[in-house]
Amino acid sequence: MLDTAKSKRLLVIIRHSPYGSSLARASLDVALSAAAFDQPVSLLFSGDGVLQLMSGQQTESVGVKNMERLLASLPMYDIERVYVDAEAAARYRLDLSATPLPAKGLDHTAIGELLDNHDHVLGF
Amino acid sequence: MVLHTLSGSPESSAFADCLRLISPGDALLLMGDGVYCALEATGPYEALHNCGAALYVLGTDAMAAGVLERIGDITVIDIEEFVGLSEEFPRQLAWY
Repeated sequence: MLDTAKSKRLLVIIRHSPYGSSLARASLDVALSAAAFDQPVSLLFSGDGVLQLMSGQQTESVGVKNMERLLASLPMYDIERVYVDAEAAARYRLDLSATPLPAKGLDHTAIGELLDNHDHVLGF
Repeated sequence: MVLHTLSGSPESSAFADCLRLISPGDALLLMGDGVYCALEATGPYEALHNCGAALYVLGTDAMAAGVLERIGDITVIDIEEFVGLSEEFPRQLAWY
């Protein structure tokens, strides 16, 4: 169990598409680093960030790492608190039942509470 | 309570995403290209004005952009006051 007295709860807000920039990889590197030091990490996919949760990504022909597979591996690194802005998901008609890893849809009010419940927030 | 810093223009996804996650009681500092969101009588400004957060704009950046005389009802602050705000709010979130 995590010692919450010593740990800082980190929320990583991800709002950029998976392959348009290096920000998607950078955000996951930060999340994995924090998890490696036993800091509790949550992820929130918002805005264009929800595009990272599209299923069926095939990157072999463009020669970049597959973000969908990377995201699917996160629960193995104890990153299991994953949230998605339900309005952004709806805008892109994202199927929340077929995301690379389980992600809970949140409305505007719940997102506000999520921010309040973390010690640090980092936006990517 | 969160101190948001916005450095994207009104047409950026940073602006739209920030507006979506901001809550009453938060503070928002406009800097860089974000100062254009302070232009009085524009849609983006009205949206910010109605979001319930305390609004600030970095004076040096607004001056550089030439918008200082055209901004709405927003508190103009300098870098030292920005540091003061960052001490006041436990969390800071950068929108870029």
